[in-house]
Amino acid sequence: MENGSYGTVTQVIGSTLDAQFPEDRLPLIYNALKIEVERTVLGETEKETLWCEVAQHLGGGRVRAVALGSTDGVTRGAQALDTGSAITVPVGIGTLGRVFNLVGETIDGLGPVEADTRRPIHHEPPEFDDLSSKTELFETGIKVIDLLCPLVRGGKAGLFGGAGVGKTVIIQELIARLARFHSGYSCFAGVGERTREGNDLWLEMQEARIGDTGKRVIDQTVMVFGQMNEPPGARLRVALSALTMAEYFRDQTGVDTLLFIDNIFRFSQAGSEVSALLGRMPSAVGYQPTLGTEMGELQERITSTKNGAVTSIQAIYVPADDYTDPAPATAFTHLDSTVNLERSISEKGIYPAVDPLASSSRIVSPEFLGERHYKVARRVQQILQRYKDLQDIIAILGVDELSEEDKVIVRRARKIERFLSQAFYVAEQFTGFPGNYTSRDDTIRSFEELCDGKWDQLPDQAFMYVGAIEEAAAKAEKLG
Amino acid sequence: MANRRVLVKRRKSVRNIKKITRTMQLIATARFQAAYNRAVATKPYAEKLAELVADLSRAASSVEHPLLKTHDEVPRSALVVLTASRGLAGGYNANVLRSAISHLAEQEKRSIDTRVTMVGKKGISFFRFLRRPMAEQRTDIGEAPRFEQIEPLANDLMERFTRGEIASAHVAYMRFLSAGQQRPVVVQLLPLGEREGSAPAGEQAAPPKAIEYEFSPGPQELLDELLPAVVRVRLFQAFTDAAVSEQVARMIAMKAATDAAGDMIKDLSREYNRARQTQITMELLDIVGGANALS
Repeated sequence: MENGSYGTVTQVIGSTLDAQFPEDRLPLIYNALKIEVERTVLGETEKETLWCEVAQHLGGGRVRAVALGSTDGVTRGAQALDTGSAITVPVGIGTLGRVFNLVGETIDGLGPVEADTRRPIHHEPPEFDDLSSKTELFETGIKVIDLLCPLVRGGKAGLFGGAGVGKTVIIQELIARLARFHSGYSCFAGVGERTREGNDLWLEMQEARIGDTGKRVIDQTVMVFGQMNEPPGARLRVALSALTMAEYFRDQTGVDTLLFIDNIFRFSQAGSEVSALLGRMPSAVGYQPTLGTEMGELQERITSTKNGAVTSIQAIYVPADDYTDPAPATAFTHLDSTVNLERSISEKGIYPAVDPLASSSRIVSPEFLGERHYKVARRVQQILQRYKDLQDIIAILGVDELSEEDKVIVRRARKIERFLSQAFYVAEQFTGFPGNYTSRDDTIRSFEELCDGKWDQLPDQAFMYVGAIEEAAAKAEKLG
Repeated sequence: MANRRVLVKRRKSVRNIKKITRTMQLIATARFQAAYNRAVATKPYAEKLAELVADLSRAASSVEHPLLKTHDEVPRSALVVLTASRGLAGGYNANVLRSAISHLAEQEKRSIDTRVTMVGKKGISFFRFLRRPMAEQRTDIGEAPRFEQIEPLANDLMERFTRGEIASAHVAYMRFLSAGQQRPVVVQLLPLGEREGSAPAGEQAAPPKAIEYEFSPGPQELLDELLPAVVRVRLFQAFTDAAVSEQVARMIAMKAATDAAGDMIKDLSREYNRARQTQITMELLDIVGGANALS
């Protein structure tokens, strides 16, 4: 595998470095370089392997590479070995139940992985004619998602939201809901988020059982982490590592695979961190000029083929709640279903704080969902949109000035708004309400009746954190 | 970092709304004075009348009059609801209508069929929305009700009452207590109660004066003439009260609306300025960054 070509480190700039190779034996772009680093800390010498990835050829035998680990202790003159291929990660059944870093080393302390196959993390997306054209709804049991922005089986869903509106909670909830009742495999990529969250998730997965089979969820799951503490190179590539493992399941086993990524924005952010060091001129808002390309290369690979389906759910951080920021904006176009989380809704104490008007899904059409679901979804949005339009008038003149029809709409919209909240399994200890799964039929029926005005008499409070509409009625009785 | 153009547009529309509410506030203030004078002007007459009736009923030991009779056996009643013809008066119409509806619900519970006379466009459209029947709809009585307009209405009620078509007649309106206090009420107009007949409800009966009148013709004949007058005046008083209350409600509502619009303009301006500054900063950063990268 190794072509044995050695180079010499000539320059280290933050998380990038230059190396000099013989001009006739240049490592290819994306090839992995291996540098043995010796660093002395408090008199003790540790040896470590630093992986780098060739990003540019500078001419004259010099290459510029992105370090995938810390460059601490790298000196000029250090030997860099060209491995002759891109970074590879172990794939296959043996990886299940394990936790990896981006170069495929286990980090769960359970010894080396039993997998004889490795795959490079870079390769072409599937051919156009291999893509699957099936469209099927993926029920989550979360009312607002199933009703307004249903996930697609084998499709991509994005959870957009600013800081602290509950992206990670929703993604963990979806893991709890989907992975638990999912017969296939799951991959989780932790990209640049809190290490603690990754640890919590790992521990939780060890305890959780799949359905009532008694099998642990972790035994069907691969986790790959490159969290906040890692240098940008690692955060830039960790999503690819997880994706490569998921792709193997799709291509080789044909089993339905779930891919969770938290958080895609960190991938773009890491790209922008190394971009300037690689000498690229910054583009809009300081992002790398190659933002769209990088996102496209990643997203195009997350797809379902005729062999098997990869359903991916990605959290996407929205800096400063600005959806026009280039990083979330480039991710938008790749998704089948977008779930937008809105700060003003989370401020009202309504969780999940999904914005019912901004969230949407490719499959919201009578063709895929059926006439009834589609109509109910649109009616709910119409009522909420009208309420939003009236908001200024209410703020200035008060509710009394509205026409009788509008008053009814406002009252109903307030109920619908609250009814979109729901108790989560993973948030039981915070909310005090047990998690709730509402079937799609119940969801559609409940909202239909609510729009028809069948439940106008219940107090608004009764609609908070309940499942189907009958539970709201029961709660109203309890409230008295 | 909302779209700046959207913010500008919104701020403009809020400004226009503010102009309207501010104008409405000023107009209401001017009209309030006129309506207040009218309402107060009828008071002395009403009081004197009540006094007279009280004296008379004291003089005539047992008063017999068709307007004082109760006929509870008739399962029908009448309700006059006084609402405004114009909006932008805050909760004025809603409050009157709410008390009217609860009165109607009460009557329905006692299975009494109520004949509704609705005055004012707002009440008419509300009842139409609820699909409740209205026997009569009046929009011709404006902000300055005249006695000639009210008189036929009162006469009609009294006639129906004496004929035994209705067991009672009520009027729902906003009572004007003071410039700071109005209350939606449903007042019984017919039958005139013994005590009620002598003074408009809610107001203290004039202190009895120990003056002995000599009546000519006799008290009975005089009461025949005066009791209908009491009903007429009380209905008229309700109309003038409603007119003042409407102006007061509009004044207060428009003041609040103008203030709210002002606050909103302030918030929108702040948001706009921030968005503008953000954009400038961002563009500067882009330019400086680009220039640095080139050099």
